[in-house]
Amino acid sequence: MWFRRLLAFFALLVPLVLLGIAVFLVFYAWPAIHYNGLDFLWRDTWNIGNQYANPVQRHGETVMPGAQFGILFLVAGTLGSALIALLFAFPLGLGAALFLSEAVPHRFGHFVSFFVELLAGIPSVVFGLWGIVFLIPFLSHHVFPVLARLFHFVPFLTRPIGSGYGLLTSSLVLCLMIVPFITATLRDALRSQSTEMREAGISLGATRFEVATRILLPGQKTALAGATMLAFGRALGETMAVLMVSGNALNYLPHNIYSPISTMAAFIVAQLDSALADPTGMAVRSLAEIAVLLLVISLITNGIARLLIGMLKEHTL
Amino acid sequence: MSKLRIHPHLRIPALAVLALAGLCALYPAPSQARTIHLIETGSTLLYPLFNLWVPIYTATHPGIRITTEATGSGTGIAQATADLVQLGASDAYLSPALQRLHPGLLNIPLAISSQMVNYNLPGLNDRPLHLSGSVLAAIYAGQIRYWNAPAIRALNPGLTLPHHLILPIHRSDGSGDTFIFTQYLSFSTPAWMMTTGYGTTVSWPSVRGEIGATGNPGMVQALATNPYAIAYIGVSYRSAILKDHLGQAWLKNRAGRFVSLTHSTVEAAVASRAPHTPPDQSISLVFAPGAQSYPIINYEYAIVKEHQASRHMAQAVRQLLDWAIAPTGGNAPSFLNRVGFAPLPKLAVLQSRRQIAKIH
Repeated sequence: MWFRRLLAFFALLVPLVLLGIAVFLVFYAWPAIHYNGLDFLWRDTWNIGNQYANPVQRHGETVMPGAQFGILFLVAGTLGSALIALLFAFPLGLGAALFLSEAVPHRFGHFVSFFVELLAGIPSVVFGLWGIVFLIPFLSHHVFPVLARLFHFVPFLTRPIGSGYGLLTSSLVLCLMIVPFITATLRDALRSQSTEMREAGISLGATRFEVATRILLPGQKTALAGATMLAFGRALGETMAVLMVSGNALNYLPHNIYSPISTMAAFIVAQLDSALADPTGMAVRSLAEIAVLLLVISLITNGIARLLIGMLKEHTL
Repeated sequence: MSKLRIHPHLRIPALAVLALAGLCALYPAPSQARTIHLIETGSTLLYPLFNLWVPIYTATHPGIRITTEATGSGTGIAQATADLVQLGASDAYLSPALQRLHPGLLNIPLAISSQMVNYNLPGLNDRPLHLSGSVLAAIYAGQIRYWNAPAIRALNPGLTLPHHLILPIHRSDGSGDTFIFTQYLSFSTPAWMMTTGYGTTVSWPSVRGEIGATGNPGMVQALATNPYAIAYIGVSYRSAILKDHLGQAWLKNRAGRFVSLTHSTVEAAVASRAPHTPPDQSISLVFAPGAQSYPIINYEYAIVKEHQASRHMAQAVRQLLDWAIAPTGGNAPSFLNRVGFAPLPKLAVLQSRRQIAKIH
């Protein structure tokens, strides 16, 4: 009996911690949610107010004069960078997984897989450093000018190309960070499929490509959707690497793909120190409101993933 | 001889115990009965100086251990008020609202820092550019967009400036550097004061080509890799600026003269502004009057609670701070020159001592 209770305790611990964090965040952020209202989502102003003036009363809360918090630019930066990263990472991850499970001898596949998994384990600050020292100068001097000239007729891809810090750079760094997730998950799923399926396909005269795309992949739709959403979730919450290469735009939306952005997670880190000096505490509470929103977005992402997986499962059956 | 045998299930725990024993042997218990452990956290600008101080100070003061952390001025203030650390380090003095909220909180100047305005103009980095507060404000507000704008040309007759977009770099994290830079813009340009003002974080106007960088190292890196950029950087990073062959501007002071950042211009600014320091030492030294005064300098503060956890702790904090501001102690040129700081003037030392004496 005690054993069962112990297990129940351990099993409940994880959801309880999650619930505890969520409840704490909402309670802590409540004055900010009340003060900022819905404008929080639709406005592009983050202004902690004049810290050297006297606090004033507004909307029933004590704030520094001029304090106004709106994070539309953060929501746009977060979703934009994660979506573009996924756009690159999906075909890359899919291709790499197919290659590793179908196209190469097992021993070589194992060898390369080891490096893919290693890539997943690299701390994000290393990606950020590499992004600053190598990727940004390289992109801004050699890649972006060419890209802007080639696509001068596409609105979001034209000049100005800026300094290299920005949306596309963040997306590329994020892409490298999430490709291993997609590759590793999908490769395992593909490997788990029986050899008979492959043999049957080839005996019917299908090429290797056809076996992979017509027989193996359709059976792994769920794994593919799951891996993609997992990767998307990781891209949404990534902090350090994005903080280092995003250009940390404040209070404006990206005007093209090279433009500086800022993401919700990175912004919390960047602004916490200043916010701590706010005597009214509203700045820190507004940062907590961003955290609540980030939590909600990840819950929605996860929810969509589950829904998608459920739908695909029904469809296959 | 029989071999020592350990049951396979016990091997890992046994190894862990051995490792722990090894660690304990490496860190022997302090020989002194009472070791006082002080923690300093905050300003990343003061951090290198504290790291120069600590080994020398602890060598001559056995029984004191000091941990230093570079977290940012806001964190320094917050952790000192929450009694998590004994010494908070801040580039900015406490705001009136914070002082009212925490009546027993002292800001005690330890040294004087200054700030450079640097640029990366290919071919022109060895020629000192002349810039004024109002031109810098217009650049950071996006009203002056190109290097060869008439306002910049007028300050620099004889220089051929390129027709290239200016990339203004600012700190994206909360920073004392932003605080003093925006004070220079605010005090010299009423329009900037009205629209943006000053603070450790400000709501920067959106400018095409602007870059937000994290920390002084991030500022140097962003400037070095982006030709035609401009940035404000703490004086401790002067060697990095010289190494990367970046330009350093002469700034227009309150008297209307363009001055470079040297020992004598910083001293001139200190001499003109320090006598006005109030007893609680909350004062901005930015944009000081005087023909030779360098316009962007500031006190580096220790944020300390008057009432410490114990008598011994209070005594240790007083002793350390008294040593830090002494011209023969922490304010000796051997320390300050290495980070580019200037010593406190005599009057400020006296005022700081009076504040330190309040710690109990």
